[in-house]
Amino acid sequence: MAKGSEDNYIPTGQFRNMRACMVCSIVKTQAQFMKDGCPNCSFLELRGNADQVADCTSQVFEGLITVSDARGSWVARWQRLDGKYVRGVYAVQVEGILPDDVISSVEEQGIHYIPRDGSVNEALPTDA
Amino acid sequence: MSDYESDGEDFNPQPEVDEDDVAPSDPRPAAADDDEDDAPAAVPQRNNADDDEEEDEEGGEENDDEQDDDDEEDDEDDVVARPRKKKRPRRNMFIEEEAEVDEDEDEEEEGDDDIGDEVHPDDLLEANPADLDDRHHRELDIQRQAQQNIDAEEMARRMDEKYRRREMMSARRAATGAIPAAQPTVDDPPIWVLKCRPTKEREVIFSIMKRIDEKIRAGQPCGVVSAFERGSVMPGYIYVEASTKQDMLEVVEGVIHLFLGTPPASINVKERPDLLRKRRRTPLEEGKFVRMTRGLYKGDLAKIYEVNANGLDCTVQLVPRLDYGVNEDANAAESAKRKRPFGRVVDRPPQKLFNDVEAKKRHMKHLTMVGSGSQKIYNYKGDDYINGFLIKEVKINHVSAESVNPRMDELQYFAAPAEDGTGGIDLLAVQAAQKASQSGSSFVHGDSVEVYDGEQKGLRGITVTSKGDIVTIRVTEGELKGRQIDTPVRTLRKLFRDGDHVKVIGGSKYIDEVGMITRIKDDKITLLCDSTQEEITVFSKDLKRAADSATLGQDSPFDLYDLVQIDASTVGCVIRVDREVLRVLDQQGNVRTLLHTQVSNTVGRNNRAVATDRDGSEIRNDDTVKEHGGENRQGKVIYIHRGQLFIQNRELVENAGVFVTRSTNVVTMAAKSGRAQAGGPDLSGLNPALQQPNGGLGASMAPPPTRSFGRDRMIGKTVTIRKGPYKGLLGIVKDTMNDEARIELHTKNKQISIKKDLLTVKDPVTGNSTDIGGGKFPNRSRGGYGGATPYNGGGRTPGPSWGGGARNGPSWGGATPAANSGSRTPGWGSGAGGRTPGWGGGGDGSRTSYGGATAYGGATSYGGATAYGGNDGSGTSYGGFAPGARTPAPAWGAGASSTSKSNLAAPTPAAYAAPTPAAYSAPTPGGYGAYSAPTPGGPPLDAPTPGNYNAPTPGDYYTTPAAAPTPGAWGGDEDPRYD
Repeated sequence: MAKGSEDNYIPTGQFRNMRACMVCSIVKTQAQFMKDGCPNCSFLELRGNADQVADCTSQVFEGLITVSDARGSWVARWQRLDGKYVRGVYAVQVEGILPDDVISSVEEQGIHYIPRDGSVNEALPTDA
Repeated sequence: MSDYESDGEDFNPQPEVDEDDVAPSDPRPAAADDDEDDAPAAVPQRNNADDDEEEDEEGGEENDDEQDDDDEEDDEDDVVARPRKKKRPRRNMFIEEEAEVDEDEDEEEEGDDDIGDEVHPDDLLEANPADLDDRHHRELDIQRQAQQNIDAEEMARRMDEKYRRREMMSARRAATGAIPAAQPTVDDPPIWVLKCRPTKEREVIFSIMKRIDEKIRAGQPCGVVSAFERGSVMPGYIYVEASTKQDMLEVVEGVIHLFLGTPPASINVKERPDLLRKRRRTPLEEGKFVRMTRGLYKGDLAKIYEVNANGLDCTVQLVPRLDYGVNEDANAAESAKRKRPFGRVVDRPPQKLFNDVEAKKRHMKHLTMVGSGSQKIYNYKGDDYINGFLIKEVKINHVSAESVNPRMDELQYFAAPAEDGTGGIDLLAVQAAQKASQSGSSFVHGDSVEVYDGEQKGLRGITVTSKGDIVTIRVTEGELKGRQIDTPVRTLRKLFRDGDHVKVIGGSKYIDEVGMITRIKDDKITLLCDSTQEEITVFSKDLKRAADSATLGQDSPFDLYDLVQIDASTVGCVIRVDREVLRVLDQQGNVRTLLHTQVSNTVGRNNRAVATDRDGSEIRNDDTVKEHGGENRQGKVIYIHRGQLFIQNRELVENAGVFVTRSTNVVTMAAKSGRAQAGGPDLSGLNPALQQPNGGLGASMAPPPTRSFGRDRMIGKTVTIRKGPYKGLLGIVKDTMNDEARIELHTKNKQISIKKDLLTVKDPVTGNSTDIGGGKFPNRSRGGYGGATPYNGGGRTPGPSWGGGARNGPSWGGATPAANSGSRTPGWGSGAGGRTPGWGGGGDGSRTSYGGATAYGGATSYGGATAYGGNDGSGTSYGGFAPGARTPAPAWGAGASSTSKSNLAAPTPAAYAAPTPAAYSAPTPGGYGAYSAPTPGGPPLDAPTPGNYNAPTPGDYYTTPAAAPTPGAWGGDEDPRYD
């Protein structure tokens, strides 16, 4: 696992500004996304791009997971958190629809994008 | 490396052979010492092969060193390192080609190297003697093989590459879910469940995150691999994935809001996936109804106006709750705005469509008009209002599309006419909203159903059981006939056929309506109602086959003809009760259709309400009145409300026979209890002039007016009852009305109503009936005289004495007949013949009648006159008197002129005729006088005081019976004289 960013901790007062990446489900504040981008999905180019942050991250998510070792965690595997994902807090379920162009750019990265909004039953395989 | 590769071209066959073919490799080890040539050649090639296939660093390193040494060293090392692999080649000794197949495997190759070393001596021995030809052949073969090998290698490399890529891909895909998520196994770290303070789950997670970060930064191993919460799904629980309990406790200990009181439990492997189950949010669609889940509008029905592309926000249409600043505290500090009320605002304004006029009153500055033309868009305090609706953008987690169940009164707002004027509620949206709530409970055993969606579409059957959202049906048609299958509720619809008799069991305002199906289209069914003979269309899910008939409006809190409050100033009479709505005729005569919820309560009937009709007579409830003019409608007053009458006439059809009119527009036809009508209150009693003729002319000696003034003197008296079931009982009069008295009986604590004339007043102390049955109270009903008794009473004490006196009187009683002729005879007679003489006195001793004059005396000065009368033994005195009594005088005079006898009759009328009170009072006193006249016995003593007795007012007159003595007194005086 890559090194965790220093600011995984979000104080209570910032909870209302939390957003979750729709691709990797990592939870950060709006400001953090703006400042650092998504640590797992650099190709989204969220840094400094407010529109992109708005499009690719969601304020509507449910369930928080703190992951310290994505490789050794069944929870992380079940949540489809790649072994390379950074240590941090992730969401269990993220609502929202990625714009089509973002989806295609995600697929270009060799990532098969599956929405994390509960619309896909994780117990069943999906077409690659 | 490059060298070797180039060499490899030539020598590849050998290494290949060596590798693949264990036997051929034998010579090599032997040559290690002896044949320098062979070995070096062979080794590098081998290495090459290794390099190619292994792509390991090792190969490279070896190649850099001197080949022989390296090889040997390698070999030796290998030997040392992997002694176990020595044996394997031998087994493979005679297998040539198969080895090639194995070549992909690195380990095998390495093994081959070792083998080569080991078996070398034997091979060497054999190899040397071998024929060159054979060698050539073999070389050829080997070359061919090499050729193939290269292909194979190539292929292998490609395969390998592909495989690796795929592996990488699959890893990625696993991460993104392309392959099924891994089910947990016992090898995974256990998951522990901990309790925490509900609503603080997220804080706890971040606290744990912080701890983990700190540990890792400090370089310590962290046993906790993950921790998670499920928020509203499992409030109050935190799950920690850690290999050991100790690891977990180490991290978790001391985290605020976390409760470690109960020992943490590990969650069963099978149950773990459930912990992370996701719930699919009901998708939002334009036009669907949702409910707000938080904020001012929490719980309110909203219609989706638009769903944003990102799927996170939507715009909803709401009925605003605005107070337009009415409750605003003008002095509130600006900072107070920061304070947010907790949870639901307690006093939120009611739902009402936006009204720009209201907004302008106080908040002109907050209001701007955006649109124009037909669609006005206002912006008020930062929110947009279109057609009165609030258009608000909210996050999708602030609305809920589940179990919306819109109610009729909520939907009415959204039923506003659409742009095209068609209006009405979007039934499909309503249906969708209600469908969400459909559960198995709407199906009962025996319903015939059809699957209308999904794989089983078209299947028909009869429901057997329903459990949650799954309904088991027994198929009745088709191939599956007789089988029982489970189907989800949402794919089922009830199956009816034309002509079925069904009952509406929910979902619409037609609930409980019963009718016959006339048309079926999809799941919409039209039926002809039994009760109204109207056709209604409902969803099949809301129907049930029924045998019974309709029972309507059973649950309405309102009844027909109830008077209900519509708003603060408006009431109305219910003229029709429907299931959802009331039709109400309000006080203006308008018919309104109101939902039950819009009517606050029933007002009820005020039985004391009084109105006056156009003639001024009073109208009370239940009176029959008739309109004056207009339609001349007539009916019974059922409600009186502020001058408006709600009148019911069963013969009218319109508005259930109820109409409203002003009270001043009707004439009373008949009052309920026979109250005096049309004349207004009967004032005649107040006018002696009117009353007099009645009594006087009617030959009756002025039965004194039936009305008494002030408090009935009967009240408080002790009486006995003379007749009826209570006969003989003693009681006290508590109250009197007209001719009745409420008697509180002494015998038992009970009050009864008895006619006054059945009462006899008793002396409460002596209980004496000595009152010759005489109450001294005028018994109006009978006419004072008739009830002579009272008069007798008048002379109460004197009475008896009078008796004696009467005897005396007889002499003058001779006059009695005259008196009798006067009229009252019976009364008087009963009293005592003697009494009459009073009148008689009038006749014979006109004085007596003068005694009546005494009453005049009532006029004080006349009192003096009385004296006159008294004095005047003769008729002449009349004359003398007459002047005294001014008005009467003439009459009197007339009387006087006549003979004394004739006077008998004369005086009375005269007296009566006298309109003045004096005159009026005169006669009676006369009577009294007559009475008292006899009394002389006792009263005479008092006689001197006659003047005093005279009460100045006629009213007192009655009280004056006491005055009776007066006349009596002087009558007494007279009597003797006369006598």
